[in-house]
Amino acid sequence: MSDNLARAPRPNWATEPAAAVEERRHIEIVSSSSQRRARPKIVYALSAVTGVSLIVLAQLLLSVGISQSAYEVSRLQASQVELGRTAESVTEDLVRSSSPQSLAANAEALGMVSNSNPVYLRLSDGAVLGAPASAAGSQGGAASLVPNSLLAGVPLVTQLPQGSGQGASVGGAVAPAAAPAAAPVASTATPNGLPTPATR
Amino acid sequence: MASSTRSGRRRIAVTVVLLFAFVAVFVVRLVDIQIVRADTLNADSLGNRSVEQPVYGSRGDIVDANGVVLAGTVMRYNITLSPRNAAEFERTTDAGKVTVTVAQAAAEVGALTGQSGDAILKIIADALAENKDSDYAFVARAVDVSVFRAIDKLEIPWMYAEKNPSRVYPDGAVAGNLVGFVSSVGEAQAGLELGQDACLASSNGIETYEKGADGVRLPQSTVTTRQAENGGDVVTTIDSDLQWYVQQVLAKQAIATGAAWGNVVVQEVKTGKLVAVADYPSVDPNNVNGTPNPDDRGSRAFTASFEPGSTFKALTAASVLDAGVATPYSKVVAPYRYLPANGANVNDSSGHADLNLTLTGVLIESSNTGMSKFGEMISDEQRYDYMTKFGIGAVTESGFLAEDSGILHPWQDWDNQTKYATMFGQGLTTTALQVSSIYQTIGNNGVRMPVQLVAGCRHADGTMTEVPPTTGTPVISATAARDTADMLEMVYQKGWLAAKWNIPGYRVAAKTGTAQMPDGQGGYTKGYLVSVSGFAPADDPQYVVSVSLADPVKLNSSAASAPVFQEVMSQVLKKYRAVPSGATAPALPGTW
Repeated sequence: MSDNLARAPRPNWATEPAAAVEERRHIEIVSSSSQRRARPKIVYALSAVTGVSLIVLAQLLLSVGISQSAYEVSRLQASQVELGRTAESVTEDLVRSSSPQSLAANAEALGMVSNSNPVYLRLSDGAVLGAPASAAGSQGGAASLVPNSLLAGVPLVTQLPQGSGQGASVGGAVAPAAAPAAAPVASTATPNGLPTPATR
Repeated sequence: MASSTRSGRRRIAVTVVLLFAFVAVFVVRLVDIQIVRADTLNADSLGNRSVEQPVYGSRGDIVDANGVVLAGTVMRYNITLSPRNAAEFERTTDAGKVTVTVAQAAAEVGALTGQSGDAILKIIADALAENKDSDYAFVARAVDVSVFRAIDKLEIPWMYAEKNPSRVYPDGAVAGNLVGFVSSVGEAQAGLELGQDACLASSNGIETYEKGADGVRLPQSTVTTRQAENGGDVVTTIDSDLQWYVQQVLAKQAIATGAAWGNVVVQEVKTGKLVAVADYPSVDPNNVNGTPNPDDRGSRAFTASFEPGSTFKALTAASVLDAGVATPYSKVVAPYRYLPANGANVNDSSGHADLNLTLTGVLIESSNTGMSKFGEMISDEQRYDYMTKFGIGAVTESGFLAEDSGILHPWQDWDNQTKYATMFGQGLTTTALQVSSIYQTIGNNGVRMPVQLVAGCRHADGTMTEVPPTTGTPVISATAARDTADMLEMVYQKGWLAAKWNIPGYRVAAKTGTAQMPDGQGGYTKGYLVSVSGFAPADDPQYVVSVSLADPVKLNSSAASAPVFQEVMSQVLKKYRAVPSGATAPALPGTW
């Protein structure tokens, strides 16, 4: 590194004070190159400020995002709770409908009869096991003797109005098909305990 | 130069002073907030932000052998209101803002909860009369989701709903006698609900979260202070469909014959599992008040003992066969009245000339005198030992709450009459379960299996605990059991009810019983407890059916219980696809 510094002779204050005042030359300390290099540059300051503001901005956006998501989460949680309630209440309806009392009452309303005289056909030799006999009639008659207060007010499939809602459409589809099939059975079978399809 | 230094100093001084003043202000404020008013401020802020709410653990289900829910937990809602805040409010509707008065709101809510509007106004008035700052009063307990939603939609600002996990019994009275019920505040009160409470019980947890000014939960602020724990499921051995059928058949016959009460036990011969235990009358756990008599709310099959009568003769016959002192062909002369040497007095139910009967014939005729002559072939101590090994005089392994052990006095305490009475089912009492267990033992080649009602407690991770023991205890030899079964088959074929309990295609072993009922004061009532117990198919026993009807006033003999036995056994054989018997029954002579 070459020495290109400006050199100024040091004024001699002691010997020539008058001359010094008179001349009053502009002097300054010239910083060395290492000093100049050590001096903070504007670009650093700028980058630091930019960085800080970027971080602040990012944090701001992030927190906006988080709080936005909080609303989203809150909304979804509320809808999950609602859906859970719906699922629970629908399951409850299903379980109630599949109770033996409900199934038996509906089966009887559709003209079905339980036969407790099983007969088996053995495939290996075609033997008939058991003694065939006609059904003695529906079990216990029309009224269920095993109460279930949950079923109070729940209509039978045959009592549902046709074409209103999903449940009714099932009942409506089954009922007409069952009616002609059940009628001849009812006329020939034992009269006691059998539901009369004519009531429908 | 000097002036600039002076101004610099002044500036510094001012700055320092300002800084100190500034810091001092902050310090004062800090001390004030952090120390002086810390407690109040903390409480205020938490109260504003923090919300503590219970997390409900759900009580376990009671399920049948196939997983059908007999008792389950559902969420219900208690509707409450704040009486002091009850005032008219504005509701935004499509037509703009509408003012709703308290009376209008009460009428709207009442229409949904099934109360009158006036009743709700009375609740408010009563609460305010008691305490004018009342902030809490019940409107309706345990309403379902649809009612809760409808009330929520009314947007009445002073009406609130709180969660109330409730018990529901989807199958109603099916197995209601066994399942039991809980109180309106969820405390187990009877049956398996109470007996298995340790397995079913859940514990509620607590979680706290913080909410913003708009009520939205702050992210990451949820703290679970206590974890909620769900209860385990009690798995029973009951089959709910069969249970329904049995209850229906029993109720029909009990009503037809005017019986005071009755029960039917269906038990698996090979495992000792109870597949149905029906009681009449029985409770619908959804509507406990519908069964006014508290005695009708449990299961008499477990909790009521009675003198079994002639169904007990099968035990005496099996004992003498096992002891080797008699065979099905052994002969006695059965008079109408038998006066043994010890002074006892035994007679048959109806007068007859002396009968020449084999042991088989004694069972077919159900002769008390004949059975006495066989029973006295072995000592009282031996008979007592057989009885205890058959499970008489002790509660079964089922673990059912408040089960009756029946009464079996030690043989040393038997008086002369009791020595003979115990041969044909008097002078001791048994529950329906114990009678069923006797027939299970005979059907299972003499091996008594533990009576099983609960298969275990199933936890959330699928593990089963409290699984009951399944090792049987040999009571009589396989030969003695087989011979007894053959004799009981003769009873089924030749007994006086042969036409009534006939099940085409199957071989059945069965015995009737008619016993006087104690009146609770040392004597007997006029009524009888009529019963039929048996198993089928006799050639490979699968199921025991035991029927008891107490005091059927319209048909006071075992003819009342026989049709129930026939229908239940037919259904059991059909349901479980028991193969019809191929071979014919061995013919044992009843007379000589």
